[in-house]
Formats: sequence, C-alpha cells, structure tokens
Amino acid sequence: MMLARLALRNVLRNRRRTALTLLVVIAGYMSLSLAGGFMAQTFEALSQAAIRGGIGHIQLLHPNALEGDEGQSLEFAIPDGEALASRLRTDPAIADVLPRIQFMGLLSNGPKSVAFLGTGVDPVREPKFMAVMDTLKDGAKANGGAGSRWLSAATGSREVILGMGLAKSLGATVGSSLTLMSTNKDGGLNALDVEVVGLQDMGLRELNDRMLTVSLDTAAQLVDAGSARSRLSLLLKRADDTAKELPRIQSITGKDVQALPWFELASFYKQVKLLYLAIFGFMGLVLFLVVLLATANTLLMSVMERVREFGTLRAMGMQAPQLTALLQWEGALLGLCGSGLGLLLTLIFRLGANALHLQMPAPPGTSHGYELNIHFVPMVYLGVFLGLQLTLQFSALFPGLKAAKLRIVEALRHV
Amino acid sequence: MVHRYTSGMLELRDITRAYELGGEKAGAFGVSFSVPAGCLAVLAGPSGSGKTTLLQLAGLLDEPDEGEVFLEGEAVSRLTEKARCELRLRRLGFVFQAFNLVPVLSALENVMLPLQLQGMKDQLARGHAAEALARVGLSDRLEHRPGQLSGGQQQRVAIARALAPRPILVLADEPTASLDHAHGGPLMDLMAQQCRDSGVSFLVASHDPSVISRADVVFRLADGKLIATEWAPVTA
Repeated sequence: MMLARLALRNVLRNRRRTALTLLVVIAGYMSLSLAGGFMAQTFEALSQAAIRGGIGHIQLLHPNALEGDEGQSLEFAIPDGEALASRLRTDPAIADVLPRIQFMGLLSNGPKSVAFLGTGVDPVREPKFMAVMDTLKDGAKANGGAGSRWLSAATGSREVILGMGLAKSLGATVGSSLTLMSTNKDGGLNALDVEVVGLQDMGLRELNDRMLTVSLDTAAQLVDAGSARSRLSLLLKRADDTAKELPRIQSITGKDVQALPWFELASFYKQVKLLYLAIFGFMGLVLFLVVLLATANTLLMSVMERVREFGTLRAMGMQAPQLTALLQWEGALLGLCGSGLGLLLTLIFRLGANALHLQMPAPPGTSHGYELNIHFVPMVYLGVFLGLQLTLQFSALFPGLKAAKLRIVEALRHV
Repeated sequence: MVHRYTSGMLELRDITRAYELGGEKAGAFGVSFSVPAGCLAVLAGPSGSGKTTLLQLAGLLDEPDEGEVFLEGEAVSRLTEKARCELRLRRLGFVFQAFNLVPVLSALENVMLPLQLQGMKDQLARGHAAEALARVGLSDRLEHRPGQLSGGQQQRVAIARALAPRPILVLADEPTASLDHAHGGPLMDLMAQQCRDSGVSFLVASHDPSVISRADVVFRLADGKLIATEWAPVTA
C-alpha cells in the first residue's frame, strides 16, 4: 500500500498534466464504449430484422435449397412440410412453426406484366411472430397504401400484399385486381386472380420492387403444392438457445431436411457485423495507440523530472522492481480514474442522447431511417476498461524500466 | 595518538575507483581507512579530491574497480545489487547535500518511508518516525511538506529519515553545504550527539571547518589519495 499511496501523491503532483492525460483516457473510454453501444443497437436491430423478417430462429429447408434457382416451383421443397411442422409444434422448446411457400412468376394487370418473387405465409401465425404488421400500419409507411390490411384467414380468399415498388410499377393500389402467373411443381402454367389488400414497405428497395405476399392457401393452389413447403421457420421459446437447440432439431428432422440458424442465413447481418467489427477494431486500435502514447509521454516526463528522487529512493534501499511497480501503480491509478470518469460520463451522455430521440439517416440500400438508441452493454464497458487498463500498464512499463535501470550515483548527481 | 575505538565497523581496503572528468582522471586511488563504531568520521579535502566517490563506495551505491569494502567485517562491495540494496535498507542511512526529501510527502511520511520499505506496519512506522523527528527537534512539523520547511529543518528531517531505521552507519555528503553557518553548526552537533547516544557511526564528506572541528577522526584527501588521518584527542 505504501507504493500505492506514493503513486497517488505522484499522480497528483502535476495536476494539469494529469488532467490532460485523464482527458485522453476519458475520451478513449467514451468513444469506444459509446461506439460499442451503438454497434450493439445495430446488431440487435439487424438480428431482429432477420428473425422477424421471416427467417425465424431456425429455418428448415431442403439440403439443395441454397444451391441455386429452382428449375420449377418447389423443386427443392420439404415434401411433407405441413406434417413436419405439425410434429415440431409439439416440441417443448419450440414456440411455433411457420411454413412458407416460395415461388416466382409474373404479376399482370392486363396490359402490363412484372416479374415477382412471392411468399405464401400462414395468415394467422405470421403476424404473431413476424414483423409483417409493422410494415403495413394502414399505409402509414407505404405511399398510396391507405386502407392496407393483413391477409384474410378465410379459406378461398385470394388476396395479395404487394411491395411498394411492385405496386407502383403496375399502377396498383389497395383494391386493385391483378393476376398471378407461375409454374406449378410439374412445370405447368397456372394463373390466379387476386385482390390487392395491402402495400408493404420492407425497408429494402430491391425487395419492395419484387416481393409480394399471399396466404399459404393461395400459394399452394397456384403452384399445386399439396402439403409440400419451401421452408419452415421455427420460433424458439428462448432465442438464446438457438445454437444449443440446432443439433437436436436437426436430429429430429433427419438428413433430408437441413436445419440452419438465423445467423447463418442472414447474409446482410453477417456482412454488416463484419464491417462494423472491422471499423470498431480499427478505431479501437487508433484510440488505444493515442492513449498509449499520451500516458507513456506523461509517465516518461514524470520519470525524467524525478531522476534524483529515484536515485534517493534506490539509495535508501528501494529495490529496482519496486520502482517499476511504483510506475505501474501510477499508470493503474490514471487508468482507474480515467475509466471511472469515462464510465460516468458515458452513462450520462448515453442517457442524454437516447432521450433526444435522434433520427438516424437510412442506411445504404434501405428505405427508412431509425431512432438512435445506444445500448448499455456491460461487457463492452468492461472490455474497454480492461483494454485501457492494460494499455496504461503497458505505457508505464518503459518509464518504469527506465527508472529501474538508472545508475544510482548518476541519478543522485542529476539536476 | 590514542583513540577510544577498537573495532572497524566500516573498512575500505586499497580502494580504487577511477573515472574521467573533463578529460582528466579523477576518483579514488588505493585508499584504505576504517571507521569504528559510534564514531563521527569526516572525509575532508578540496573539490575533486575523491570524497564523494569514497562515500558512494562506502554506501554501496557504486562498485570499486579494485579493493574491497568491509561492513562489520563482511566484504560487501561485490555482492549482487539486490543484496547491496538490502544492506542499504537495513544497515545504512543517507543524508544528502540537497536534502533529497520526497516533495509530495510530509516530514512524517518521508521518515516513515525507509521503515515501510523494510516492511514495517504503518502504525508502528508512524510511531518510530515521530520519535525520530522528535529527536531532531521537529515534533511540531510532522505534517509539513518539505516545501513548507526551512533548509535546516529539511536537513533535520533527512537526518531523522536516515536514523529512523536504526542503521549502523550514516553517510552524509556535504550535509551543511546548503545551510548557513547558524544552521550548519547545530546540525553537526546533532549528528555528534546521535553518535554518542545511539552508537551509530557517521561518515561525512565535507570541507566545512565547522564539520571537521566536530569530527572524531578526519581522513584528509587530495587528488584521490588519503594523505593524512587525524584522530581527535580522547576526552574524559
């Protein structure tokens, strides 16, 4: 404790210099922890967008389903998907199973036809677990989508929800009648008249230009699916159990059906996460370097000013490693104080920034912005603290070794 | 000449330590002397005569090129730095010309420092340090920092710091050089009294006549060589 007390007095010796060093540490702490909180918000939003956008926690699909386009509808489907879905719904870890039929074809208003990518979903289950309703909202987000509603669950109803861009290209709006054309699983052409009941803004321009959603019943009739389903989206009771439950569910489905977690299927999430981690890593490296140089400079100057004092301490019987330890204590105190103040200011800043409900611009490729909500991520805060502490200990190492290597007789002569 | 000391507590035997100073050889050359226990010894001589060099060798702060330093009969100059450091901590004390107190510590804390380095508990060290400061007449300056003390008071704190761990030998390099005559004399009286009271020896490097006049033995140096040893007459 004697060294710690002496280190504290030394840190307070040149208060202005210490304050400047602390400012660097505080700025480093705030930058990294706020960036970490912002990243966590982004990752959380992206993961939720992926899971609630249709993938679910685990998706079951044909082993070849990801290898390329199907030659005809349902070529790579789960043959008796409905039966498998029913079986899985009894599993205690599974909240529900949402079967989907994916198909493509042409959508026509008579004079004009446009290619589409369609999804048939369960009109009752889908809104319970997926974010479909958020994109409708009675047309609030969809230009010209006033009166939008979700698909009816009534058997025999033939309804469609169009992506905004797709609707625009056909001049369609709620209430329009259109014709869906697609090939069935035997290669024959089928057509079905449908009524537009809603417009959808899915956040990505490319999706809005091509996507449409119909009920499972409508899709099954169009492509002659029977009980075959393109994919089954599994929603788990505990989202955190995804990785843990995956092998068990794979063992239930057998090798003819592949089980994939959402984080493997959500390529956008993976790409953004990698990009953010790279940016964060680079930024962190630069900040740690700045902190390292600033504190090393402070401690080195402090050593140079105290050469004779160190000589005296060594003459009195202080061992060389104790001098190194003294400098380590000084680095540690700068780190603790800087990180502590940094944590406090980060929390205050975070509360203030979140309370302002700032709207962030739309990310590239998406059609609407989002509200800034910097997350509180204890592991990031702890990680930044440990990282800075290590940096400061490292920055104190060279000055400490330099002090320890001083020749006593020369140090005592130092002016 | 008869003197009252029988055993050589510190002995320097054929010590040589040479270094370059302004293109010329300086240091100490073939110097031998011994300092008995409880003795106030002075290394006297003009600047460049080798006083500080010999003091540093005796204080185990430096290693001789040739010769040996004995402390209580034990050869110590070739020990490892760690062992010499331990000896400095347990058996030696230092007083410097510029006092060399730690400016961020109070007088009491400065005196506690070597005790704490020895591993003494804070409470005990505080008691010992307060006692040492009382012996040098600074009971009322315990919490003062060096900057709040006069030169004479700072040097008294330095003496208390050197004496608090109860060393066998205190090495003082020009302890009165930064003080005026009014403060230098009493300071030397204080050292002489500590010799008598606690049996600790002092080896002082100085060319100050007021210091030399209070010495039990004076080793006169010139050009790095011992030219005379003068013992004070035995007093009743």
